Amino acid sequence: MQSTYRTSPHACYSIAWSPFHPHRLAVAGAANFGLVGNGRLLTLSPQGIDQAFSTQDGLYDVAWNELHENQVVGGSGDGSIKLWDLTVPDYPIRNWHEHGREVFSVDWSNLQKDLFCSSSWDGSIKLFTPDRPASLLTIPAAQTCTYAALWSPHQPGVVASCASSGLLTLFDLRVPNLPSSTAPTPGPTAPATPALAVPASPGELLTLDWNKYMPHVIATSGVDKNIRIWDTRMVGQGGSVGGVCTGSLAGHQYAIRKIQWSSHRADVISSAGYDMTCRIWTTQPSSPGSSSQLYVHNAHTEFVVGCAWSFFDEDVLATCSWDQSVHIFRPPFPPPRR
Amino acid sequence: MRSSLGVAPDLPTASSPPAVSWERREVYARSASSDSVRDLGEVRKMRMRSTGDGVVIFKMAQSRLSQLTSQISTSLGVGKAKLLIPYDNDVVIVAAKRSAITKAKKGGFKDTCPEEILSGVLRAVYTSVNLDPSLIEDVAVGNVLPPGGGASAARMASLHAGIPNTTAVNTLNRQCSSGLAAVNQIANEIKTGQIDIGIGAGVESMTKGFGPQSLPTEWSEAVLSNQEAADCLIPMGITSENVAKEYRISREAQDAFAASSFHKAAEAQQAGKFREEIIPLQVKWIDPKTEEEKIMLVEADDGIRGGVTAESLAKLKPAFAKDGTTHAGNASQVSDGAAAVLLARRSVAKKLGLPILGKFVAAVAVGVPPRIMGIGPAAAIPKVLQKVGISKDDVDFYEINEAFASQAVMSVESIGIPFEKVNPVGGAIALGHPLGATGARQIATGFSQAKKTGARIFVTSMCIGSGMGMAAVFVNEQ
Repeated sequence: MQSTYRTSPHACYSIAWSPFHPHRLAVAGAANFGLVGNGRLLTLSPQGIDQAFSTQDGLYDVAWNELHENQVVGGSGDGSIKLWDLTVPDYPIRNWHEHGREVFSVDWSNLQKDLFCSSSWDGSIKLFTPDRPASLLTIPAAQTCTYAALWSPHQPGVVASCASSGLLTLFDLRVPNLPSSTAPTPGPTAPATPALAVPASPGELLTLDWNKYMPHVIATSGVDKNIRIWDTRMVGQGGSVGGVCTGSLAGHQYAIRKIQWSSHRADVISSAGYDMTCRIWTTQPSSPGSSSQLYVHNAHTEFVVGCAWSFFDEDVLATCSWDQSVHIFRPPFPPPRR
Repeated sequence: MRSSLGVAPDLPTASSPPAVSWERREVYARSASSDSVRDLGEVRKMRMRSTGDGVVIFKMAQSRLSQLTSQISTSLGVGKAKLLIPYDNDVVIVAAKRSAITKAKKGGFKDTCPEEILSGVLRAVYTSVNLDPSLIEDVAVGNVLPPGGGASAARMASLHAGIPNTTAVNTLNRQCSSGLAAVNQIANEIKTGQIDIGIGAGVESMTKGFGPQSLPTEWSEAVLSNQEAADCLIPMGITSENVAKEYRISREAQDAFAASSFHKAAEAQQAGKFREEIIPLQVKWIDPKTEEEKIMLVEADDGIRGGVTAESLAKLKPAFAKDGTTHAGNASQVSDGAAAVLLARRSVAKKLGLPILGKFVAAVAVGVPPRIMGIGPAAAIPKVLQKVGISKDDVDFYEINEAFASQAVMSVESIGIPFEKVNPVGGAIALGHPLGATGARQIATGFSQAKKTGARIFVTSMCIGSGMGMAAVFVNEQ
């Protein structure tokens, strides 16, 4: 499987594999590089572009419903979040307009499959369930842009987020008295106290991901061009600050926009960045001296802003870029040691 | 598969109007046929038609663009901007003064006890800003060699300096970084709210203290069985040779660095650039020729030598190993001197109308292998820069202690700092290195030089015997 899809005239912003169909993908895109203009949700299959839905403002992230094979949620530049059913043409079946600014990430929980969360440049993280017309919970996560919020794939109710302050923050929704508000973004609020705050970067943190095999391991990256691996085993009752940096991967020449751990290998992570490359790394090089960088995909001709590992085909990666293309390929690196 | 949701899937709810109007969809269909990105101006016109509010959209696009630009600019400029903002709870430097640094056993302070030099600088920092000394809550003094940790001597110096007995005093010893460690201690006390105003200082009389008497006569064999523990006893000169060998710092590079230190210091001294930071002190001095006791005003560093060149240094014999590269001319001088830094919380300084030289941002100490202790700054500087979120290029100049040219060159090269940014008025090779005083001395020098050049951010750093390094970041606001 090695293919390229054109998404013209929309720059891609994010890509996600269907958890139900091995070869189905959803792509979020936006006209004019997302600065101004429409957004576009596309679904891709081996036959090409399956379906397309338009939005008023740029679409910045997508996530598949973990319970319904035909539902996709998307976060838009106007602060709205839309849920589409692929069997229903043209319009989303739900629209939540609660965020005050650009919604930059949406993530569906694979443990509590009725929940998804969003994060926005307004600083907040919101929790939604498709049945409800309003959000279930608003966490004022940061006073600055919260670029991403992701559910832990291991523990229900734990959300990690990263913000332009350089902080990686973990919120444990099981802890009572989590400072929150259900009102739709009441202006600047004092940030909620996270279960753990990790000063992970001197610059803006644009992306993070939970390791799929090691419950305490989170990778972060952003403007400082380094991917840092964190052991977050210090999660306490709230208010703890710390985290142990167990590794750092350097090589990108500009900021990194998206990282994702492999679905199949605990030590492999991919990163997409403004240097127009997607790189694949291992945190456990075969020998101490050898490079941790396994492969550089440099076929894109614009910022690479999304990357996603297939759930069904081992070592198959999809990348998407502002060059209005999606690449799906199997990076040539050694088979896993077993 | 149809949606199983409770809402009718094909009917948007009242609160969710159609995402795209039909008019807009036509526009989209037209443009979708073209492969090129649509013209931004056209889109703006379209948006203005459909929403009637082009200004808002233009502002939104601008804000998205600036967000993006900040992400791809290579320097982490945000960190620097954040650093320069004055906050009311900042720890600020109100005054920083030093004594002259004089040659041990020969120079101006050869007959002066360290507590007297210390008293001089303590008095100078608070009188120079007309501060009521009873408002000073704590004094920390870094010193390395004095017996008993210099604890009583420092307390005596503080009392003699006119600071009342209600002000607390302690000494501390983190070897060559003691002066900085003392400032760091006071800064942290201010940060945590334990005190509002304090003095971090450092002093050393290497005339009185330097030599075998400053070391214990025996060591535990059990502890010495640990190789790194045993390495802590390697003479400093040998650690310098180790650094030179391991990192291939040539004799020529060291001599050139040392000559440049002498040259810069001599030039600065001639131009009167040290006058502002130095407090002249009147002390007794015995003329070695006539053995006559005189009163002497010590107001200038006496270790600085003009006319030193790399060629003249090349003639000196290595001091520690026959095939070595370290010698008297490219190592720090053995000296006497003291320095003091008056710190306060910004809100308190403003309330009292005290001058503010700048702010103390952060300091870190790190460990390195004891056998190559000189590489301390190479480890400490990147760490402190990372902590405060700035890059090495955001720093206008560095005061890196020149314990030895070998380790200074290694540190500067390994971090990748241009040599022009290092020790603009010379360092310990030319000025001298009174161990406990150096950390505070660099701060006094840093602020006085930053005032002249308008530099905004500077870093001070030094290596530390037994294998450590310390570095601190300061913002100049003069």
